[in-house]
Amino acid sequence: MMQGKTSSLSKTSNLFLVVLTFLFLYTPIVVLFLFSFNAKAFPAPWDHFTVHWYQELFNSSALWKSFRNSLTVATLSTFLSLSMGILLIFFRVSGGRISRFLPMFYGSLIIPETVLAVSLLTFFSIFGIPLGLPTVVVSHAVLGLGFVVPIVYTHYLELDPKLQEASLVLGATPSQTFFKITLPLLRPTLIATGVLIFIISFDDFIITYFCSGTSFQTLSVYLFSTIRSGISPVVNALSVFLLALTSLLVLFFFSPKMRTRIF
Amino acid sequence: MNESIISTLPKRKQLTLFNPFSKKDIPFAIGCPALIWQILFFYLPILIMIVSSIFLLSKEGDVQGVTLDHFRACLNAMHFSIIFRSIGVALLTALICLLIAFPFAYFLAFRGGRYKNLLLFFLIVPFWTNFLLHVCAWFFVLEKNGFLNNLLLSLNLVKEPIHFLNSFFSVMLMMTYHYLPFMILPIYSSLEKFNFSLYEASSDLGATWIQTLKTVLIPLTMPAIRLGFLLVYIPSFGEFAIPELLGGDKYYYAGNVVTHYMLGEHTAPLGAAFTVMCSCFLVISIGLFLWLTKKLSKFLMGGCQS
Repeated sequence: MMQGKTSSLSKTSNLFLVVLTFLFLYTPIVVLFLFSFNAKAFPAPWDHFTVHWYQELFNSSALWKSFRNSLTVATLSTFLSLSMGILLIFFRVSGGRISRFLPMFYGSLIIPETVLAVSLLTFFSIFGIPLGLPTVVVSHAVLGLGFVVPIVYTHYLELDPKLQEASLVLGATPSQTFFKITLPLLRPTLIATGVLIFIISFDDFIITYFCSGTSFQTLSVYLFSTIRSGISPVVNALSVFLLALTSLLVLFFFSPKMRTRIF
Repeated sequence: MNESIISTLPKRKQLTLFNPFSKKDIPFAIGCPALIWQILFFYLPILIMIVSSIFLLSKEGDVQGVTLDHFRACLNAMHFSIIFRSIGVALLTALICLLIAFPFAYFLAFRGGRYKNLLLFFLIVPFWTNFLLHVCAWFFVLEKNGFLNNLLLSLNLVKEPIHFLNSFFSVMLMMTYHYLPFMILPIYSSLEKFNFSLYEASSDLGATWIQTLKTVLIPLTMPAIRLGFLLVYIPSFGEFAIPELLGGDKYYYAGNVVTHYMLGEHTAPLGAAFTVMCSCFLVISIGLFLWLTKKLSKFLMGGCQS
């Protein structure tokens, strides 16, 4: 074995790189966290400790309205794209052939989100559809489908086909097989994909910016306009809150029960 | 016997006539929503956007006729330089991400040990929070009397604070920060499935680790590298929020110009024409990239045979 100098050298340099990458990832977050307790607003240097911004965060009605809007959009679009994905798998279990349609769902991988957003805006305005919650949900559901269909279908193909064949041979109808065999086997994948597209929809900015119109605001659009007009430490407090929330979700995603890999 | 068969035949036909779906078609109707959704809200809008690039609008914003003027308006040095700058930025972002991501994913997959899941957790948490919060965070780091300048000043590396914000540097930094996980995750998951005995076999047979990397590891993870590259390259080409917030107003990028035209007064067709043009360049560059990586893969593997 090559356990000489080069090997250990590459090992330490590798570790060094990983530490550096994590420093790169977390320095801004730590700075943001510390400055959420700063008494003076950006870009002032450190003054003294305060929790004033957290109080203001929980009293800001515009922010929480946009937060609720984001939650609504993410929930509805996740539900839509997941159920459409499940129906597609049901179609496959009942003997349909979907492999020839599958490349259609990879389109959202190849086309930049900005192009899709611009196209949806043109589409809605040409047909005179008013922009608002429904248009954002519809657009996010398209975004979600691009993840749901490829991921769920790949995991469906990795299932042991013998289980479903046995069920069919033993006299179960395709729908019985689907609900009693396929769906329980796919459940971890479906939950993981659901969490993933929920987060993607919740954090999405580009499509929402184009398709939300002027009256409807999600958290991302609200943040964009806030940052443009000058950063308030309330945003810092918000990000600490959101980071905690996300960590919980990711923790759930990594829990031993969810032993499925969708990356 | 014969009679009964004949008598059943028209009956079945009648049944299918009255029922819009025969038994075989019902699952297809169920499988449809996803397909219809994808066609109606993905392909149709893109088609309409492409068609709308030749619309001639009146002053009130109604469609008057068809024209190629928008494309002609886009065919000038300014627009081309914007496209090439965006391609350059996207390419540079993808390359920097690859250079950081490969060793990182390598460490995570092979040396991670029991900390693997913990490291993955800490990688994904920032990835899953709203990226506008990251932009906000970098403002605090890059600001004139922010964290980075204070650090550099206290280490005596610089005499005066540097203006990091509103520059090419801050755009590249934010792009790399935002898109790095898109590169790490595919490479990591490919390396994790990698059969480690191949690596051992290579070093047992006397290859140095650079040779192993070149002839075994990189060619076998090439599909993941390619995927990660596209996952970074394509969205960063169209990115407009990061240059808008961190780039200042010195340079324009494709995403900003598209946004500016699309949301402007009656300039939507011009925006559509520019989008079509950008997409053409993007498709050509992707094709070129795929061809190059195929060649590179062959070249690396070929070095092993000779």
